[in-house]
Amino acid sequence: MNPMIRKELRQRMRERQGWILPSLYLVVLGAVIAITYYEATTSQSGEVQGWQVGVSLFIAATFAQLILLLLLAPIFSAASLTIEKEQRTLAGLLTSLLPPAQIWWGKFVASLLFVLLMLIAGLPVISAAFAFGGVGPWEVFIATLTTVVILGTVSAISLFWSSVFRRSVHATAVSYVTVIVLSIVTFIVFLVGMSRHESLEWVKLPIAVKGPLFFNPVFFLMMAFAPKEHLFPEWVACLIIYFSLGILSAFLAVRNLSRSGDAV
Amino acid sequence: MIDVDRVRKSYNGTRGLDGFELHVADGELFGLVGPNGAGKTTLIKILSTLIRADGGRACLAGMDVTAEPQAIKRILGYLPDQPGLYQDMRVREFLEFFADAFRVPIGQHRAVVELGLARAGLAARSQSFVEELSFGMKQRLLLAKTLLHEPKVLLLDEPATGLDPMARIDLREHLKQLNAQGITILISSHILSELEDICSRVALIAEGKNATDAAGKSVIELQSPAALAQIYEIEVLGEVDQAARRATEMAGVTVLKTQSSHFVVEISGGPAEASGFLRHLVLAGVQVLKFDHPAGTLEQRYRQVFGDKPR
Repeated sequence: MNPMIRKELRQRMRERQGWILPSLYLVVLGAVIAITYYEATTSQSGEVQGWQVGVSLFIAATFAQLILLLLLAPIFSAASLTIEKEQRTLAGLLTSLLPPAQIWWGKFVASLLFVLLMLIAGLPVISAAFAFGGVGPWEVFIATLTTVVILGTVSAISLFWSSVFRRSVHATAVSYVTVIVLSIVTFIVFLVGMSRHESLEWVKLPIAVKGPLFFNPVFFLMMAFAPKEHLFPEWVACLIIYFSLGILSAFLAVRNLSRSGDAV
Repeated sequence: MIDVDRVRKSYNGTRGLDGFELHVADGELFGLVGPNGAGKTTLIKILSTLIRADGGRACLAGMDVTAEPQAIKRILGYLPDQPGLYQDMRVREFLEFFADAFRVPIGQHRAVVELGLARAGLAARSQSFVEELSFGMKQRLLLAKTLLHEPKVLLLDEPATGLDPMARIDLREHLKQLNAQGITILISSHILSELEDICSRVALIAEGKNATDAAGKSVIELQSPAALAQIYEIEVLGEVDQAARRATEMAGVTVLKTQSSHFVVEISGGPAEASGFLRHLVLAGVQVLKFDHPAGTLEQRYRQVFGDKPR
């Protein structure tokens, strides 16, 4: 096992945020499930089918989960490398036999594992949706896979910012700006582009208009709910874009790390 | 063991090193002195593979630090000027982590960590959190961590900074022991008396270059017969230049500096030679008001080289 992963997990579990954040996350996720259940069973006219409640709960829970984890992921990764610079421990790592890529990998895996811990901790809450039917293993799998890819990419981007800045506060702020750009700015740019186009039909929109939406994590998750045979091209395109962003961020972070000797 | 050949390094146009040269023999305990901003830390960072030189060549054990960084790290122990510790780790965990990071084989892992604890004198505190240790204990822990992989070369950047007198004495003795085991040590320090006590030679550095004393030497021998040379300050009545000329007539005497009412000489040998030199001056008609042997050799030379320069 990469010694960095063991060290990072040990240190993270000792921090107060190691248990406060997962607890808060579960409380909020539980509240979303409860509110959605209340809305689904009381506000509709006529008889409500069990599977309709199940689908509503599942969709609300997966999107709430994504948004919550998008807000939490930078906390775990943006300060990962800056904290080593702030507490002057990076020189010790860089002069050990751990290559920069392994240092990055340890930080990345530890950050992602902590986010995945919350994802797994949220499963019992989300499983409330299964009791009502309408949700199969495929939906659970593709939604989880998409969420993990998005969070992995956001963690990699946050780690990149962590390799750029010397202070955690700066890296964390810029990481949140990146999350906002991906989640909100891309959507606004899409809306502006669409408003200038005559046809509002998705298939008729040019790629220049649709393009920004492929960077949007919410859109990516939405596309995961398309039927299996319709995952191409939207979901697949999002997957390729997110993988590319993640790999580029990783490459640049490792390069910055190997050149950060004068910052230690 | 350490060969630095005309190494240059600048930071956004600001000079860090400007053609500095250094040669440290295998098994030597070598000092590096110079004012703040002279380039000591830059040199040590280049040797420890943390930064790349813009020009010149730096080698450890015949290996180029730029071309073979991983091989260098295997034989190198580096202690930075402001080292950091993982305060939220236990002492044993800290050493275990670095034993892993230095690829200590699994079979030797436990023994290496135990040896590290013993070297740091922290075997009884192995379950304490690092933040609970005193400054001196933390410094010992850092040095123990630096030695986990049995390096052949130690680069120590101001290791005694912030230590109390007892901790300094401990550190000095520890370094002497390590050197006696054959480890080559390059140490930069502002505490000249410490370097004088433990180093065989000391290099002078200023503005990124080799600085030289009045005798034109950039490396001062401390533990060799030449180190017996003594520095004396002589205050005279009358012509200082003429007195200085008289001084140079005696073998083994070098005039290092001449000022309005006094001059500074280096006398090879011990007190007998110094006494003979004083007699020579008096017999030559020089009116000696003061014949002083104020401080240690290294401090004297340091003051001669760097004393008037801004810090």
